[in-house]
Amino acid sequence: MSSLSDAKRNLRERAEGALRRAVLSELGRGQPSTVEPYRPKGDRFWRMFFVPVYRRIPWSAKERAMNALGMTAKGWKPPERKPREPWRPPAELAARAPAARLEDKSTTE
Amino acid sequence: MERVIVIGGGGAGTAAATITKRLNPELKVTVFTEFSDIAYSPCGIPFVHGREIPKFEDLFLSTVDRYREDGLDMRMETVVTDVDLHRRTITTKNEPEGFDQLILCTGFYWEQPDVPGANLEGLHYVKDIRKSMEFDKQLDSMKRIAVVGAGPICVEMAGGLARRGLQVDLVDEGPWVLHELLDPDVAKPVHDSLEERGVTLHLGTKVESFEGDKDGHVRAVTTADAVIECDAVVTGLHKVPNTKLAEAAGLKLGTTGAVWVDDHMRTSEPGVWAAGDVCEIPHGLNMVPIVGLTGAHAYAQGRVAAVNITGGDLAYDPVWVPWGMVAGDYTIGGFSMGENLAKTIGIPYVLAKGVGITKARYYPGAEKTFVKLLAEPDTLRLIGGVLHGGEGIKERCDFLAFAAKRGATLYDLAYMENIYSPPIGALFEPIQIAAQNALAEQRANRLAAAT
Repeated sequence: MSSLSDAKRNLRERAEGALRRAVLSELGRGQPSTVEPYRPKGDRFWRMFFVPVYRRIPWSAKERAMNALGMTAKGWKPPERKPREPWRPPAELAARAPAARLEDKSTTE
Repeated sequence: MERVIVIGGGGAGTAAATITKRLNPELKVTVFTEFSDIAYSPCGIPFVHGREIPKFEDLFLSTVDRYREDGLDMRMETVVTDVDLHRRTITTKNEPEGFDQLILCTGFYWEQPDVPGANLEGLHYVKDIRKSMEFDKQLDSMKRIAVVGAGPICVEMAGGLARRGLQVDLVDEGPWVLHELLDPDVAKPVHDSLEERGVTLHLGTKVESFEGDKDGHVRAVTTADAVIECDAVVTGLHKVPNTKLAEAAGLKLGTTGAVWVDDHMRTSEPGVWAAGDVCEIPHGLNMVPIVGLTGAHAYAQGRVAAVNITGGDLAYDPVWVPWGMVAGDYTIGGFSMGENLAKTIGIPYVLAKGVGITKARYYPGAEKTFVKLLAEPDTLRLIGGVLHGGEGIKERCDFLAFAAKRGATLYDLAYMENIYSPPIGALFEPIQIAAQNALAEQRANRLAAAT
């Protein structure tokens, strides 16, 4: 992987980690049997600056940004999320192999 | 004869190979795997260590000979060292072999802890059944095991090893176990159950190093707070997609670092497919690619690749990730995301919370089932949930993931039909109760706002 990709992934991991630790800390406060998450070195900047800024941005804007920055999947259809006809095997496939034979429950779990 | 090569013999690889061969027996299908076994359930390994399953052999579902009888060319313990997309060849033992279609199912490896001592003997990763068999024999002479990480495999291992009578210390940076999946309101019953089995929890602390003896065998884990003596360490931090071959071949990788595929499991190279943990799949809610899915997902993706390779047109849907497990003796599950992840990403939600029972209230053995659902504030469409408690968690999570995928709302769930049969179901379904509670709260809020 290129150093640019590494850098992008590293940045994403740091950002996600900071957001997650902030939420874990908030949600866990007062809940029995929980403690504060471990905070790595350098967390202060992300906690004090990045997390509040990220949270001020409305979700709709974040969604648009994710699309614009190419963070959402390409080559996939977003789900319709409404009831639809049940899946049926394509006609040519159904002709070649009965649906039941597509399953091989004996091979894996 | 057209030749299909499958690299990898896990859930995705076996599904892709067997279904391809069945759909088109004319194809020559060859499976390469670096391991000596195929078609076993690695998910069952913690339960053999815990003596809930008597022996490792019970985890095998089929044999290499059986696949050969089915017409597959099985190349066991054969490492593929190179894929040449231009020449359409792979290389094993310095010999090239040609392919017409290639399916990459190279799976994952466990992230290695990035601390001193991580290369000591005695650090065990739960993956290869032969190594687990060896580890199981060694456990007979061990007393104390440190488990590093609090994800599903580590929690299952901790619970299993404690059940076997070993002293188990579980260490994680998070504030409760399974914090990447679970919300904190479930922490207490899960922790209680693990502790009742004898697991000692060390949470909110970081592993700083592994200490070894003069023979290079791990003897202790040093955390930010303590030194934990041990005879061995079990670790399972994160699953890392095994993209070495794909990357060297020049296949496109996605934003997670896993192999990019489209909804037909096609990679960026015509005639080259990928399935299972090596590739990334979008989450159905926001279409952001994710990795680290389950064996059931891998198998389904292998099936989709096989159907499409043999001339079908089958799309794999973005995932809603139903999950479930037993932590200690306590059953937990969920789908898509809990509050924890929704809040981390910044997705707005309303909550629907309810407590129901698993059987009629008068039927012996009825247990509580806790349901927490997350829904979009405006449409009340489901976006996630966490469930815990009694029987039926798995089935409810499967159902809810499917309902969310089809756009079900809290209205739908509040008035859903359900089975009332005293030994298996109460009059009021716990999911209904949660949804009804949320609608009642919405009505009360609207009334309050209007007056």
